Amino acid sequence: MIQTIHLDRVLREAVPTPYGDLVTRPTGAAVRGHIQRTMATAARGALTRLDFSAVRLIDFSCADEVVAKLLLAFDPAADHYVVLHGLSDDQAEAIDHVLIGHRLAIAALPVEVGQPVVLGWATGDDRAVFDAVQRIGGGDTATLTRHLAWHAHRCGDVLASLAHRRLVRQAAHTFLPLVMP
Amino acid sequence: MHVATVPTYLDDRGLDQFAQTLASWPPPERLLVDARGCKWSSPYGFASLLTLGQALAEARAERPRLAVPDSEDVRSYWAKAGFFRHAADLFELHGKVPRRQPDEQSDVLLPVTPIRVTDDVHTVVDAVAQNAARILTTELGLESKAAARFTMTFSEACQNITEHAGTGGWVAIHAYNWRRRLGRRVVVMAISDAGVGFRRSLEATESRKFGDRWSDGTALETALIQEISRFRDPGRGQGLAMIKRTLREWHGKISIRSGTARLAIVPPWDEDVPLAEHLPYFPGSQVQIVIPAREGSPK
Repeated sequence: MIQTIHLDRVLREAVPTPYGDLVTRPTGAAVRGHIQRTMATAARGALTRLDFSAVRLIDFSCADEVVAKLLLAFDPAADHYVVLHGLSDDQAEAIDHVLIGHRLAIAALPVEVGQPVVLGWATGDDRAVFDAVQRIGGGDTATLTRHLAWHAHRCGDVLASLAHRRLVRQAAHTFLPLVMP
Repeated sequence: MHVATVPTYLDDRGLDQFAQTLASWPPPERLLVDARGCKWSSPYGFASLLTLGQALAEARAERPRLAVPDSEDVRSYWAKAGFFRHAADLFELHGKVPRRQPDEQSDVLLPVTPIRVTDDVHTVVDAVAQNAARILTTELGLESKAAARFTMTFSEACQNITEHAGTGGWVAIHAYNWRRRLGRRVVVMAISDAGVGFRRSLEATESRKFGDRWSDGTALETALIQEISRFRDPGRGQGLAMIKRTLREWHGKISIRSGTARLAIVPPWDEDVPLAEHLPYFPGSQVQIVIPAREGSPK
């Protein structure tokens, strides 16, 4: 199941302003609450796309409230994934910065990059494996190890870390991308 | 009646001169703010004067008087900047006040505007966002794609009022030529509040680390240099970090005055001292952000 939440609409519903900018902490907290309530209605294993394409601006404080605190509040038992869509460069930069501050990461599809990326706290190995999963459409540890020409334990450790942080989806021994470009 | 004289040029340095004439806080007698000889005020000056009026009102002091500038041109500019519209609520105005409306299509990029609640931040951010690309390209010679960063800088600075001051404040943005100081055009953002100040805001969580050294200056260093907020949440303090990073890229300057100290991150083009302490007291906190035009830009 894929659930799409348009943040411009959420903004209009969550706070009584006619404006299209995600700014201030109280606004971010209200928007996050709305997102959490919507996500709670989704089935197990669902993917939620947070669509920023009609949002003009997100400042750091609001990015912290909407994205970082959403990830911090995630129930580890809930099998739920989140991807950010339609981000501008500036929005991606703000979210990347606040997530690094919390040592968190999220998968995103920025408009100007055109392919899925990891925003936030991620090592070079994390990004290489994430990209490989995207490129070949997923696979088990052996497949990805061959593709990257790495040692199996190195690839396995990174895949487990990405799955734990919900940057890839694990189904038995297979690791799948959350989003295809 | 205690007379506090507004200097000829009321900017960040002029405010120190003005604060000196306040003598004590709160003033022992009814205050007369004498602006008759003032020739020019920066947005920082406008926001600070309104902050003074607000602080006196909140201290339940007798409503101060304000003698408006003698010069008709100066009075006209103060009206254009939106100053008199708000000053009339806080001061008993003496002198001829022009009826001119605030002008948002001139070098006054944002007239003096009150910030009391989150919705006010949305309103001013929306106004700035609509004009940000024009401001950057025409005033500063920067690329229009930096508009979002410009607006974010302003948004984060405004939130210092709603998140930390404990009361309302004032914001304004102007563009003008800094011929003597820089030889270029600049955009100046002023954000001033009549709140508790950085020292009191951070006292409960940070003062113990400093012991006897705890002061307005160390509180400003804690906030601006170490990026520490009174909130324990690790996501806090990132707004100031973002502002600093943006200003570094644009060779801009931020200075914050709170109580008796002023701390600045000084770019190479400026000769300000990083930390000035033992200044005459002025209520609340005043933030000034200066973004210079790119070198060689047409204006």
